[in-house]
Amino acid sequence: MLFPTVDFAIFFVLVFVGHWLLNHQSHAWKWFMIGASYIFYAWWNWRFVFLLVGVSFLAQTGATAVARTRSPRARLVVNGIAVAALLLPLAFFKYYGFLAVNATNALASLGIESSIPLIQVVLPVGISFFTFMAIAYVVDIYRRDFELASWTDAFLYLSFFPHLVAGPIVRPNELIPQLRERRDERHVDVAGAAWLILGGLFKKVVVSSYLAAQIVDPVFGDPAQRSAPDAFFGILGYAIVIYADFSGYTDIAIGVAKLLGFQFPRNFDRPYAALSIQDFWRRWHMTLSRWLRDYLYIPLGGNRRGARRTDVNIMMTMILGGLWHGAAWTFVFWGAYHGGLLTTHRWQARHGLAATKTTETKAEETKAEETKAEETKAEETKAEETKDGWLDILRQRAATFALVCVGWVFFRADSMETAFSLLRRLITGWWTPSESLTPLVVFTIAGMLALQFWPRGFGLWLQSGLSRLKPAPLGIVLALAMLVIVILGPSGVAPFIYFRF
Amino acid sequence: MSQPRSPEGRQEKRPAENPARELYARRLMPAGRVLVVILVTLLAWTCLYAPTLKRAAEASRLGTRRTVSLALLRPIAAVSDWIGFNELAGSIERAVGRDRGRPGGAFVPPPEDIPLTPEGHDDPQGNGGQGGDGNGNGDGATAEADSIRAPTPDRKLRVAIVGDSLAAGLGYFAERVFLPRLVRVSGQGRISTGLARPDYFNWPYTMHRIVDRFDPDLVIVMLGENDHQSLETAHGGREAQIGTSDWPPTYRERVLAMMRIATSRGAKVVWAGLPIPADFRLRDHSRRQNEIFEFAASISNNVAYFDAWERFREPGDGYTAYFREGRRVILVREADGLHFNAVGYTILAREIAKLAVEEFGLSPRTFQTKI
Repeated sequence: MLFPTVDFAIFFVLVFVGHWLLNHQSHAWKWFMIGASYIFYAWWNWRFVFLLVGVSFLAQTGATAVARTRSPRARLVVNGIAVAALLLPLAFFKYYGFLAVNATNALASLGIESSIPLIQVVLPVGISFFTFMAIAYVVDIYRRDFELASWTDAFLYLSFFPHLVAGPIVRPNELIPQLRERRDERHVDVAGAAWLILGGLFKKVVVSSYLAAQIVDPVFGDPAQRSAPDAFFGILGYAIVIYADFSGYTDIAIGVAKLLGFQFPRNFDRPYAALSIQDFWRRWHMTLSRWLRDYLYIPLGGNRRGARRTDVNIMMTMILGGLWHGAAWTFVFWGAYHGGLLTTHRWQARHGLAATKTTETKAEETKAEETKAEETKAEETKAEETKDGWLDILRQRAATFALVCVGWVFFRADSMETAFSLLRRLITGWWTPSESLTPLVVFTIAGMLALQFWPRGFGLWLQSGLSRLKPAPLGIVLALAMLVIVILGPSGVAPFIYFRF
Repeated sequence: MSQPRSPEGRQEKRPAENPARELYARRLMPAGRVLVVILVTLLAWTCLYAPTLKRAAEASRLGTRRTVSLALLRPIAAVSDWIGFNELAGSIERAVGRDRGRPGGAFVPPPEDIPLTPEGHDDPQGNGGQGGDGNGNGDGATAEADSIRAPTPDRKLRVAIVGDSLAAGLGYFAERVFLPRLVRVSGQGRISTGLARPDYFNWPYTMHRIVDRFDPDLVIVMLGENDHQSLETAHGGREAQIGTSDWPPTYRERVLAMMRIATSRGAKVVWAGLPIPADFRLRDHSRRQNEIFEFAASISNNVAYFDAWERFREPGDGYTAYFREGRRVILVREADGLHFNAVGYTILAREIAKLAVEEFGLSPRTFQTKI
């Protein structure tokens, strides 16, 4: 079920009523929410509900086995088996086709006829997200960071519909304690939720859909014939499209959870205002970044085994992160590209060549330190800005954004040839007339980039004003806002980009 | 204990005077009142947007969902119209330059405007400049030639790609195959359209406009995946119920009319049949549609049929998402089991171009064969 649809609106009204009516009956409430979440998932394809149940069962069985095992060595083995078991469905659904085709073609090039069955496996929506949350749950119990939850808590944690299909990737200690507490039905943050939901709808329905149809799809569909300005704004446009699409979805998810009395972690923090590539990864898809750090980079050794090993770990983490986004060489390249940028940045920092002092520290190592790092990040950035001067800051931000945009070309392109063809047009396409560029496209891209530099508290005064309205006038104001969003957007809704990951 | 964070990440103190009722200067509300807000929002939005919702429901596929939606939306739309909400929503739509009359119901990226070429002319009535009844019945073809003219950089070949979402994808990726130095491709695919529901999207009318304005040398048509339904007239009346003996001849007439219009100014037409779908429940109907396309092409002048089913099926007549080119295996279909991916559309465009070489003498130097 897609958020911006009439189906979801009807579903949510029913769930909202049931949720608050059952708020005092913990057990009934949990079963109700599990049922509602499965209906939400089944709306897309009911068969894959069995997969969600299976992954939840595997996670809880694995977590129980880990929790009951005393010996450290045996715990490690049990944890490894549980994680491998959770990764198996993901590996099959996501990578079977990719591996089968590449193996068949590799064998064919050697003159060997392959007998690998070539089947197209349909990717279940959100499988990467709930698998990663399941792994986080098992590993946190292994690390004794979290106590074993009940079966209903574990099933609800993994299936809770606001985060189910595209995140944010919520940690067990962020959501399961909230599932155990009674929500305060007297104090619901309706204005904050409405701000997030309407903002998310605007980003998705208006900005992302418009730019995708107007410039991004034509430019990436046939890059060889595009002019240099078309190619340039097509690439910038995609940077905005993927940000508006994904952060829009996350905002709606966080807003929906807020209406039910839950707090989700942030997933984006104005990523195109980043000062360095490392800063970018602290601001972009933050819940995935921290997952990769805590459950991949640190287990690989993090930065504890010297500079060279750290670089290898970063490269491996980023390549696997790239592969997580999709089974294609373009994603592998995208991950390796970002890994290369991060290791280069570290090398510059080690040799005193980085324009801004790196803030990468042992904060990568532990969650406690991470909390502190997040809290002090704003102050550090501000201090760096004051120290370096606005021109340096502008240069660093522009350079970081340009590097990120080059990466997006590979992320969006359907093949490496398409990506290189588009990049070539930036140089060779100056004599070709522009076909897709309009003033509104430029204005939309510029406006969305400008919003990246807006103060963090932007909109609080409006939310405050909204929250002071009576229910009926507030409802009419929200309806008018929704009407404008729907009118500005194209008919219907394109699927969210991150659904396929 | 640390202070809560605002959604914007800023740490703020709760107002001291009433910590329970406010959060970051936002007043909090009991759940019951929030429900009132949600219901008022949805009701007001439905009233304001009812005419458009009703149009979208009318255009959707026939079935229970459409019937229920219309039963709910018709009275709301009538009330909305009576109160004047309709006019308010219309004013907002006009203010943002949106056409209220356009069809809704599916995600529709704006198709390319039909280009006006020096050889073409604009006929807003869509009569094709040929006379006739608007369905291609009239004085018909004019300049007929045996083969497609040889293009030059100054006088490029004009290729129009027409149809539903399959044609939309084909239109995007055909530009990778046809050489822009010699060929001007105009993608005219309209998602969620077909020949069954001219009340939703009138293809004969649009085909007339394409022929008049663009004056194509080659028209590639690919549609039919949305036609697994009863055939309506342009005014919304039922012409042939799906599953009855009336359906095939009525559909064939519509296909023939499209072919007549497309060839009315001398263009050659390649009509691409439906590719085999993954869903076996759709196969019988798609196969019958392909028989109609093939038959209609065989009795029409300047129309060739491209058998996409045969080209992209498994040897045992089953569905496969892969295409074998020499020893190489390539994934060509989307996971929905119906559409092609980028490589698939590119291969499809190349195969159609090859057929046009055989059937209409298209110059082989107008497209690239290497994918």
